[in-house]
Amino acid sequence: MAAIKLKNLQKSFGGFTAVDGISLDVRDGEFLIMVGPSGCGKTTTLNMISGLETPTSGEIIIGDTVVNDLDPGERGLGMVFQDLALFPHMTVFENIAFGLRVRKVPAEKIRERVAAAAEAMHITPLLGKMPRQCSGGESQRVALARTIVTNPAVFLMDEPLSSLDAKLRVDMRTELKRLHERLKATFIYVTHDQAEAMTMADRIVVMSKGRIEQLGTPLEIYNRPATRFVAGFFGTPTMNFIEGVVEAGSSGARFRGPGFEQPLPADLASDLNGCDIALGVRSEHVVIDGAGAIPGTARLLEPLGDVTLVHFEAAQGRSLVAKVAPGSTLAPGAPLRFRFQPEQCHLFDLASGQRRG
Amino acid sequence: MNTELAAAAAAARHRKVRRQRVRGLTRHAVLLTWTAIIAFPLFWMISTSFKDAGEWVAWPPHWLPNRPTLHNYAQIFAFGALDPTLSRQATEQAFTIWKGLGDAVVVCTTASLLALLLGTFLAYAISRFKVGGPYFRHTILMIRMIPPIVVAISILIYYAIIIPYATSALLGVRISLFDTYLGLILIYAVTTLPFVIWMMLTFIDEVPYTLEHAARLMGARRFQIIRRVVLPLVASGMVVTFLFVFILNWAEFLLALTLTHPEVTTLTVLLNKFQSASEGRLYGPQAAIGTIVTIPVVVLGLLIQKHLVKGFSFGTIRK
Repeated sequence: MAAIKLKNLQKSFGGFTAVDGISLDVRDGEFLIMVGPSGCGKTTTLNMISGLETPTSGEIIIGDTVVNDLDPGERGLGMVFQDLALFPHMTVFENIAFGLRVRKVPAEKIRERVAAAAEAMHITPLLGKMPRQCSGGESQRVALARTIVTNPAVFLMDEPLSSLDAKLRVDMRTELKRLHERLKATFIYVTHDQAEAMTMADRIVVMSKGRIEQLGTPLEIYNRPATRFVAGFFGTPTMNFIEGVVEAGSSGARFRGPGFEQPLPADLASDLNGCDIALGVRSEHVVIDGAGAIPGTARLLEPLGDVTLVHFEAAQGRSLVAKVAPGSTLAPGAPLRFRFQPEQCHLFDLASGQRRG
Repeated sequence: MNTELAAAAAAARHRKVRRQRVRGLTRHAVLLTWTAIIAFPLFWMISTSFKDAGEWVAWPPHWLPNRPTLHNYAQIFAFGALDPTLSRQATEQAFTIWKGLGDAVVVCTTASLLALLLGTFLAYAISRFKVGGPYFRHTILMIRMIPPIVVAISILIYYAIIIPYATSALLGVRISLFDTYLGLILIYAVTTLPFVIWMMLTFIDEVPYTLEHAARLMGARRFQIIRRVVLPLVASGMVVTFLFVFILNWAEFLLALTLTHPEVTTLTVLLNKFQSASEGRLYGPQAAIGTIVTIPVVVLGLLIQKHLVKGFSFGTIRK
């Protein structure tokens, strides 16, 4: 078992800084997911932990050891790659056995351990097959078996589910979560899929432009996003944002935007008088009913079965989206009235994007 | 309305069938003509190899030998003294194919293997470590664009003069690479190396980096990765590359002519020696040698057909 500490880790490629001085403590046995858009530096960070990339500066500490100068194979890590990286010219057995063979483990022991790993991943019947004869899900299990066979203390996973179809991806999520519970090893998982992050992680690191935007549990990230970027990145559909100013008045603070006026909870807006703010509201916190103070026009309805998404237009042609109960009688072009739930409004500084309340 | 539509559809189908037929016929006609042009010299060579001396340059030409004979083959394959029943031209000739064949096999095989070994590792270094910068791979091929004759004379000076004098002055032993197996093998390996690098780069570039990364994370060292992951994946490419440079070496004439004589004789040089003062060129034995030297290339090609198809289709590595 091993905790991992990143200290002011930086990686530049020529003039481009991919990872810009990140510091992070990954707890022993934790399932940590790094998430962010393409090019945010998450894979580069993972590659630095694995040893496939050398940091420009900063330290990587696994357990108590600074591993910057250790070869990837000496760090006691296992890694599952985005394309799985199964050796196409070897059977499934040989793929799983590879790590043991290069470590000169006796043949008898190799057979035992490969059999055990295959058993654990339910792929025993595949051992004699070639990787190209395996389906996507089977290949995934082979890649996992190949990783667990060497008993690494830390598992690194670089978008391992991205090549699977939607259903299989959901199944494999559960499988990975179970694997983590069984092995109690440290998992660091990279993805750009927020659903994977929300469902599997103990904690999530949200990255953007080589920096950590927020570190927290999935619910913390969802309910109290630290920046406008995080708020926009998590949640489907994307959070609604409206730019405006906070005004303190005798009847409490209010947010005033173009054609919008929204009362704010007193504790939220006490010191924000006159500040330029982006108000964020998730679609499930937009209420469309007769009591709504603001007028709008329905433009598009997307029934998803359990809910219906209503895309509508508010003042000055601003597009917003609301989640309503299925069976909505709204039709495109129909006028509507809506309001935001005041306690569910997020306020972000317009310039810096930092959370203000 | 329906009848009109059906009639139009039938007419369209008819036009389509006719168009396909015309296209097929044209394609076959072009390909057959091209094949005839390409294959004619081969046919003429094989035909001549079975002709007696009088028919070699007869006019009008004899497409097929009037009196087929094996004299030409008997001559080039002769061991020891020649059979007096052979043609006069043949008995004048002292050459047989054995020495040239042996030398060509030794030199071409060794040089091709050497170039393949060096070129594969060089290609790996260029592909993975970007050795020489982004344009190095093009520069390498450009080196090969230089006509061999440009280097032949300078190499001859090195082999026959500079190296022998330098070694005798420095080491007290006169070492010459002129007219030696080693000399010819070295120059063949060097001249074909750019092709090997170029071809192997294509194959090695195809091997995904992540396979090597995965192997590294599992504890494999660089040489283990090359031996156990990269080389097996480019094996087909190596076979194709070997065959390609082997054929290049097998058919090479100018360097062999310049840098060897009389100790080392490759087949192409030997072929050129088949002429006599009285008869001029001995086309019969030359055609027989030509036919014989073509056989190994064809046989090799057939034997490794599977690899050839895989190698030339590239992109064969499935993830």
